[in-house]
Amino acid sequence: MELISGQSNGVLVVTIQGSVDALTAGQVQGYFDDLLEKGERQIILDLSQVDFMSSAGLRVIMTVSKNLRQDGGELRLAAAQPPVEKMLKISGFTTILKSFASLDAALGSFQG
Amino acid sequence: MEGMAVKHQITRSAELQSLAGFRELIDQACDQEPAFDDQTRYDLKLAVDEACSNIILHGYAAMDPGSIIVSIEIGQDAARVTITDFGHPFEPVEIEPPTREAGPEAILDDLGLFFIHESADLIDYQSSPAGNCLYLVKYLPKADHENPFQ
Repeated sequence: MELISGQSNGVLVVTIQGSVDALTAGQVQGYFDDLLEKGERQIILDLSQVDFMSSAGLRVIMTVSKNLRQDGGELRLAAAQPPVEKMLKISGFTTILKSFASLDAALGSFQG
Repeated sequence: MEGMAVKHQITRSAELQSLAGFRELIDQACDQEPAFDDQTRYDLKLAVDEACSNIILHGYAAMDPGSIIVSIEIGQDAARVTITDFGHPFEPVEIEPPTREAGPEAILDDLGLFFIHESADLIDYQSSPAGNCLYLVKYLPKADHENPFQ
């Protein structure tokens, strides 16, 4: 699993490539902990290249979202594959986390 | 021979590094069955991953590292997965899983169990001195649903 980040109009886009499971979820958590320490507050998590995510991954996303909100920031999700999007919906995560069908839509939501 | 179930099985150490291998087993089995759509395949992988994660993180707690056997058998109507371990018994069928209505904050601690119940159509569990067996059934899309445990 790899994590790549880049800036777009003042918003940080973090792209995960691969699977987020109980083994790799800690790596995602650590990556975001570093970003928060560096002062990043508006972050989009691009899920388009995530081929599998388990509950461990969702828990990390929830934790990152909470930590960002406590510091006045926000995490938004983009382009989840249909099975991952289904997990987000049936667990109710989409009631507290904004999830967009595309990266462009997620980027646009921070500009409005 | 038409109608004959095909079985795939692997044994791996009860470590998180083994999770990818268990998911790969499910993929290999599903590759041979065109009736599996992407969601059904993912549901199977998720149920297996969550169950094996629980075994790895809790089943062998305070014990010498053990192993997990995962087998999948694909019949005409369903895929039947058996997950066997030799650690502490844990019976997901006896624990009331959280429901969607409880909301994400409430189900966070039991999210893995929640997804096992959401992803599998039938769940059964048997524990004996010979080991703990979790049985998961996932129906193929549009299959007739007689009880596969009988």
